[in-house]
Amino acid sequence: MASVHESLYFNPMMTNGVVHANVFGIKDWVTPYKISVLVLLDEMTISKRMTLLERRRLNKLILPLQQGPDLTLRHFLKTVEECSAETAFAVKLRLHMMVVGELKDMESFFDTLPNPFSDAESEASKTSVVGLFMRHMLLAYNKLSFSQVYKLYTALQRYYDDCLGSQPGPPTAPPVDADMELSEMELTSTEDGAEGKMDKEDDEAPRRCPLSQKQAEYFLARQAYLLKNDENKALKPAALQEELNNMLKFNPDFAEAHYLSYLNSMRVQDVFISTHSLLHYFDRLILTGGDGKSNGDEGYGRSLRYAALNLAALHCRFGHYQQAELALQEAIRIAQESNDHVCLQHCLSWLYTLEQMKGSDSSVLTEDSVKMAAHFGLPYLASLGIQSLVQQGATGGKAANMLMDALKDTDILHWKHSLSELIDISLAQTTSIWRMYGKSTMALQCAQVLLNMNSLEQVDFGVQQNNTEAFAVVLCHLAELHAEQGLFGASSEILKHLKERFPPHTQHAKLWMLCDLKIQFERAMNDGKYHLAEPHVAAIAALDQMEGLYRKGLVMKAQNQTTDAYRVLQRLQLLCEKTKCTEMIIRVMLTTAELHWESSGFSTALPLLLQALVLARQHHLQALASETILHLAFSQLMLGVPEQALNILHEAMEPILAHGALLDKGRALLLVAKCQMAVSGGREDRRTGLEQAVQTLDEAAAYFSRMGCKDRLRDTHYLQARLHHALGHTAQRNECALLFRMVDQELPPARYGLPDG
Amino acid sequence: GQANHNVARAVGFGDLVQIKKQLISVISLCKERGLVHSVKWASELAFALKPLPMSELPPPAPLTEEDVEDLDALGLAKSYFDLKEYDRAAYFLRGCRSKKAYFLYMYSRYLSGEKKKDDETVDSLGPLEKGQVRNEALRELRVELSKKHRTGELDGFTLYLYGVVLRKLDLLKEAVDVFVEATHALPLHWGAWLELCNLITNIEMLKSLSLPDCWIRDFFLAHMYTELQMIKEALQKYQSLIEAGFSKSTYIISQIAVAYHNIRDIDQALSLFNELREQDPYRIENMDTFSNLLYVRSMKPELSYLAHNLVEIDKYRVETCCVIGNYYSLRSQHEKAALYFQRALKLNPRCLGAWTLMGHEYMEMKNTSAAIQAYRHAIEVNKRDYRAWYGLGQTYEILKMHFYCLYYYRRAHQLRPNDSRMLVALGECYEKLSQLSEAKKCYWRAYSVGDVERMALLKLAKLHEQLNESDEAAHCYIIYIQDIFSCGELLEHVEVSTALRYLGQYYFKNKRYDEASLCAQRCCDYNDAREEGKALLRQISQVRDQGEASSADVSLPCVFGSLSNNNTPVRRVSPLDLSSVTP
Repeated sequence: MASVHESLYFNPMMTNGVVHANVFGIKDWVTPYKISVLVLLDEMTISKRMTLLERRRLNKLILPLQQGPDLTLRHFLKTVEECSAETAFAVKLRLHMMVVGELKDMESFFDTLPNPFSDAESEASKTSVVGLFMRHMLLAYNKLSFSQVYKLYTALQRYYDDCLGSQPGPPTAPPVDADMELSEMELTSTEDGAEGKMDKEDDEAPRRCPLSQKQAEYFLARQAYLLKNDENKALKPAALQEELNNMLKFNPDFAEAHYLSYLNSMRVQDVFISTHSLLHYFDRLILTGGDGKSNGDEGYGRSLRYAALNLAALHCRFGHYQQAELALQEAIRIAQESNDHVCLQHCLSWLYTLEQMKGSDSSVLTEDSVKMAAHFGLPYLASLGIQSLVQQGATGGKAANMLMDALKDTDILHWKHSLSELIDISLAQTTSIWRMYGKSTMALQCAQVLLNMNSLEQVDFGVQQNNTEAFAVVLCHLAELHAEQGLFGASSEILKHLKERFPPHTQHAKLWMLCDLKIQFERAMNDGKYHLAEPHVAAIAALDQMEGLYRKGLVMKAQNQTTDAYRVLQRLQLLCEKTKCTEMIIRVMLTTAELHWESSGFSTALPLLLQALVLARQHHLQALASETILHLAFSQLMLGVPEQALNILHEAMEPILAHGALLDKGRALLLVAKCQMAVSGGREDRRTGLEQAVQTLDEAAAYFSRMGCKDRLRDTHYLQARLHHALGHTAQRNECALLFRMVDQELPPARYGLPDG
Repeated sequence: GQANHNVARAVGFGDLVQIKKQLISVISLCKERGLVHSVKWASELAFALKPLPMSELPPPAPLTEEDVEDLDALGLAKSYFDLKEYDRAAYFLRGCRSKKAYFLYMYSRYLSGEKKKDDETVDSLGPLEKGQVRNEALRELRVELSKKHRTGELDGFTLYLYGVVLRKLDLLKEAVDVFVEATHALPLHWGAWLELCNLITNIEMLKSLSLPDCWIRDFFLAHMYTELQMIKEALQKYQSLIEAGFSKSTYIISQIAVAYHNIRDIDQALSLFNELREQDPYRIENMDTFSNLLYVRSMKPELSYLAHNLVEIDKYRVETCCVIGNYYSLRSQHEKAALYFQRALKLNPRCLGAWTLMGHEYMEMKNTSAAIQAYRHAIEVNKRDYRAWYGLGQTYEILKMHFYCLYYYRRAHQLRPNDSRMLVALGECYEKLSQLSEAKKCYWRAYSVGDVERMALLKLAKLHEQLNESDEAAHCYIIYIQDIFSCGELLEHVEVSTALRYLGQYYFKNKRYDEASLCAQRCCDYNDAREEGKALLRQISQVRDQGEASSADVSLPCVFGSLSNNNTPVRRVSPLDLSSVTP
């Protein structure tokens, strides 16, 4: 608090009540660290004996040293030493001479500094990066008053002594006092944890030099970039906030820090601080932008519009839809009044996003938005709109070729404008759509394309832009696809990788958490370990309500709580119809049909299944359609028309074998075998029919054993044994019976499968 | 001195002579130690009491062996100290052993550090380093003082200094404890109480402290209540102090005036300030508050006189600049006003009132961006400055960002939950955003907490009117008219006539012709509603001629049924009861 007061000393640069953020027109000033860098640069220009390799290493070092925050001398020397031990020693020596000497040593250093400028051959020519930096420093140094120069010199001495105290230097404070102080501090911190700690940090502060404007800008840009592209590498939220507070303490006018603080508190879902920081940022921005023009493209009228828009976005992210709508209306009104079409366009795209989030149909709005964006030449917004439209179209059952065409068109746009972020999203979206349609091979391919693509964006700060949501989505799909094929090792490898890339507290972590839970749930269910699956239900429900409800129904059904399961499924169906989630509706129908089977209501299941089939075909959901056909065939089989069942099964077999999950393949083959047995029942060619069935069963058993689905494996073996018995293959029969016996012993004594044909 | 302080605890207000004696002795103690502000406070208070006869004058504090030893060094150091050569003073005091010399030694070191810090700020290496400048002496002082504190060697004055050092290091909790200890050791030293006052943030904290039982505690409590906006309690305390015999004290008068200003009782405050200026014509303190009051009442000549007077006394004082700023603002010369507020800030950047006032000026000049900056500065100095939050809200409202300004109004409302102005502002914003139910709540709440501008009810009534909730609207109008007439002021005739007009129509529709004609007659008292009033009267007589009975027995529906479920006691008014409110 106190320091804030101090920073409000009257400012000579205040004009018309506005203090400009860059008060003295100096972006940089001399600090002891900067002197060390200058010494290094000087040393590099003077010394001729340096090897080429060393020189190259040092040259690579220059830019980070110039831009980065001030380092301690020890750290600085260590960095230099890694490149060239000799130079590091020379720098240290020169600094030592300066420190143990007098003020005039520093003065004379700055006097000789500009020498290389006159030399045209020199690397430090006036216009080079190095030369510019040196000139900046000289300028800043020459502006210092005598007392400031003296202060700088003592600061340099302290800087040197703090790190290399072993060298003789001016005497430090008597150690007794320091001890006393330490114990005193500890005393405080035990008395009152929070305050004591704050005090400690406060005392640490002078050792951490304040950032100059340039350094601060660099710091903010870097952190913001990392937050967007790779959250892991950014500072932890608490540490970042501390840095920002520190920066704002030194310069309350540094508006960008408020914005970063907004982003940072969004990470931890802190609505209070994020609102506060956002508004503060725009309050400050209005000042720096403002030449009183309230309507033009520039000036603070513009930032007012974007302030309202950003507030809307904030409320949107926190799910305050009503508030978001109000803020958005305001932004739209102001933008309209000042004829700012670009801002309006942004508003429009937020509007449809908001509508979508609220769950209402916004495709008309989105289409309008796309048209307008194309008209005003805003490729980013246009293709974002198209992607959103594609998503809506995909869930709404639009023709697949149209969607793919649209995506292809946007891809052209992306490559033309190098919108690498959107390219990623587009690929991830394609993956999801293929997956939804049940084309696992295509999905797999798309996912691989994205993962193997080199990002267009230049690699900044050593971060590849690959920790975005698109990558998380694709990796999750990949994990699920592998799990479907029974490659659980690979899938858990992928999940492990996801965990490392997106640690649990980061914003995209929910994606893999859900994916992980689903896979575990499926495995537990297939194993018949329902008690293991049950705890996952609650966890899934926490991440995705509908999915959770569905899984709850599944577990209940498996545990024979038919009535409860039916009630849950009914509730879920209502919910789905409200949110128009077709996939889930079909799945619920299938599960309901299964419930009907349990009560032998095979004929009552038929209308449901037909309805599901129509829906699935309408929405091009091939996997679900095939599954529905399997269900239909089973019902027909049970109703005593196996010929019909076999007929329609042929239709479904091809896609299932091509794209389906292992489990589905096995189930389909098992069903085929059953039908074959049923069909061959009364005829002469019974034997060939049965032999066919045996072959089919062999195949099914292979799939089931790969999935580790013991329940079904047991049924299959049983059938195999029976068939072999009927065919008179005693040896094979005994073998199958043994296998059956082994599996049966592993499984808990449970109800036996449905009566076999 | 110690003996005196022990007596102090026992003395009540009955014994003014004792109090005076104590004041005189503490004045000399503080004077020797260079604590000028405490000297001033005690002297002002002593001046308000009757002079003592020669025989009653307290003897000077007895000298100890050590005091005598240090006498010369102390004299020399004190003279350097008075000349603001703190390092020099400290140098000559370094070997002294007496308590007095020790205090002055430490105090000089502290002040030297403060002075250097202020100088450094101008001379720092870069703008971002400004926040880093600190009083380098503080840490050393803290270490030394805490050592002595543990062994119990500190007297009242050094305890006070220790507290100040702790506060400057932001160790607020420890500082409070030390200041409480200081007040116990030396209750008469006002400086310690004042420091304590700045550190106490709420009433619970105040209650939890164990303070010495001394007459000076009442002064402290009264001051504290004013700071915590508990104006009623503060006024009670001050009243009892006046009755106890301090009626002539300018300090108390000024404090009461400020208290009245805080609760917007402008007349009382004005008369007290006038009295203050009569007694103490060259006083500059608190005159900025006085000028605020004059400004609110638009008393141009008085404000102009005050400004001239203060400029003659001392034109380089923050208060003077604020007064001049207010003066120009009242004359609508906003550029000049802003200039003077800037000057006030130049003189003391910590003066938060000036930031807010400057914001208001920029608002008047329609320089919204500068206004926002000024308000933001005010908030940075003091996050709890509700006027700055309110001002920010107003700025955005002017920019027609009604949703955006809600946040700022809400902050202001949080800080002053019982101030109707914020609630009305919130209500207006909600109305603009078509959030009518929220708006209704705000207006009703504004009325319930005591509406200052008497606009809330009217707005509420109009809102009900808009929503065709005629019963509620009528009831609001009734209460509004009651309110306006009961306070005897006739401010806005337009609005009263609007209310009467609506009520007339309302009663007419409900076939209560007696009330309707009463309202219509009242309407005729106003120019803008006269015609309508007459028309209504004609209509009524027409209907009556047709022999339609007035349905007086139909009782009005419970108008506030929907609103009074929060158990707010509502003044139930008989709608007929308009006879007493003849304008």
